[in-house]
Amino acid sequence: MSSNKQTIKKQVKKHIPKDWLTELRIVYRITMETLNDIKRTGIVNIIIITTIAAILTIFGGLFRTALSVNSFAHELGNVLEISVYLKQNADAQTVANRIKKIEHVQKVRIIPKENSWQDLKREIDIPDIENPLPDTLHVKVDKPQNINSVFNNIKVLSVVSDMSYAQELAKKIQILNNVVNTSTVLVVIIVAILTITIINNTIQLVIQSRKDEIEIMRLMGVSNWYIKIPLIMQGALYGFLGAAFALIPLNVVQNMLNNVHRFFMIPGPIFAGNMVVIAMFFLGISFGAGGSFLSIKKHLQV
Amino acid sequence: MIQLRSITKKYKNNYALRNVNLDILSGEFVFVVGASGAGKSTLMKLLYKEETPSSGTVMIGGINIANLPSDKVPNLRRCMGIVFQDYKLLQNQSVYDNVAYVIRTLGISTKEINARVLGALKVVGLSDKIKAKPTELSGGEQQRVSIARAIVNGPPLLIADEPTGNLDPKNSMEVMQILDQINQRGITVIVSTHDSAMVDYFRKRVITLENGEVVRDIQAGTYEQQ
Repeated sequence: MSSNKQTIKKQVKKHIPKDWLTELRIVYRITMETLNDIKRTGIVNIIIITTIAAILTIFGGLFRTALSVNSFAHELGNVLEISVYLKQNADAQTVANRIKKIEHVQKVRIIPKENSWQDLKREIDIPDIENPLPDTLHVKVDKPQNINSVFNNIKVLSVVSDMSYAQELAKKIQILNNVVNTSTVLVVIIVAILTITIINNTIQLVIQSRKDEIEIMRLMGVSNWYIKIPLIMQGALYGFLGAAFALIPLNVVQNMLNNVHRFFMIPGPIFAGNMVVIAMFFLGISFGAGGSFLSIKKHLQV
Repeated sequence: MIQLRSITKKYKNNYALRNVNLDILSGEFVFVVGASGAGKSTLMKLLYKEETPSSGTVMIGGINIANLPSDKVPNLRRCMGIVFQDYKLLQNQSVYDNVAYVIRTLGISTKEINARVLGALKVVGLSDKIKAKPTELSGGEQQRVSIARAIVNGPPLLIADEPTGNLDPKNSMEVMQILDQINQRGITVIVSTHDSAMVDYFRKRVITLENGEVVRDIQAGTYEQQ
């Protein structure tokens, strides 16, 4: 009696450590359970995977486009400069040093008034008069969105006669950047909701169809996680396969964007393709598993 | 092995069990008898933690399972074999797979699973039916598969809730004899039944429930003993 009592107490209360071979066999059994569940889901598998692939294609396409737009914006932003025209008595080097200390200023280039005059005389026929042009500074800013604040900081300097920059272009680049970034975030949210909803409903159907079997497993002492993990893996596998199929249309989008970059001679974003693929697999698998988890929590009483 | 102290189970305003106190020793064979609604099934469900008592303690192997956290319940159930009136077999799986199902989840080697399953099927006399599906078996055979599944993990305790409820007298006798043989191997067997013929034939300890209360507890008793 004492031996039976000890056996029960030990088995119920304590975690009995298992050797790696036993753990491996459990992993194998769980994998087989997952594959059996998928086999039982039948033709519905194709519908689920196709739908997830379509959703992830939209996300992948937009994310890849966003990266390209960012790269275009960055290149255009790089060519944006503020032209600062100094008063006649101002020392260009002193002013340039002062402007360099302003936040977000990346580079200041001095264009001496003699150079400007020579350039002008080369372009148009000017009578031989005294050089009326001031020294000019070309100020380059780190990011297009900072150009306005740098402009305002320079404007207050007393030695500045006049200033100019492509204000409208800078604003448009900034707006385009914001629109694309916001759209990408919105699409991620939509992808999350749709994927989780689809997987949630599918796993609910699987649970319903296996209700009796799960009940028997539960009564026979099959561990809760042994019942749950195959269902979570099923959801994750749908996400994985959806992402894998989405790579086909994504490749087409990728090629189109590469052609656009080549046409405008603007280099494509570095590692963009890899980033998009990783993001797609990450979202597919995590939302797939998340959808299953929510369904299990709601519909599986173990 | 099992101690029930002041067990009460209440569903809304109805008492399924009232102040039940019991001691069942290791290696005993116990019949729990009573009319429908007497509380037999509730008592059985308390033993495998399908139900939790409203008050009182259920000690099995030194553990109060009334307080057992839900994540430990599968561990408890693997320490006991459970047999149901409706067999609860997986209809799409063979006899072999039904018996092997739970021990496969424990990561046991195929060789050991094979040995255990064939051993359990030998005990219940179904060694020649390992490939059959439950739908191809008689009720008695299905119940024997269910008993094989219950003993395959070598539990010290076997709980059978109305195991002969769906069987004819001949099959009932076969099933009871198998349970008796299992008990003779040292396994504690608790059988709830209203099959008076079986109870009278086997002359084991009989616990009688009426309206949720233990009204008789007799060693080597019969169904209607006064």
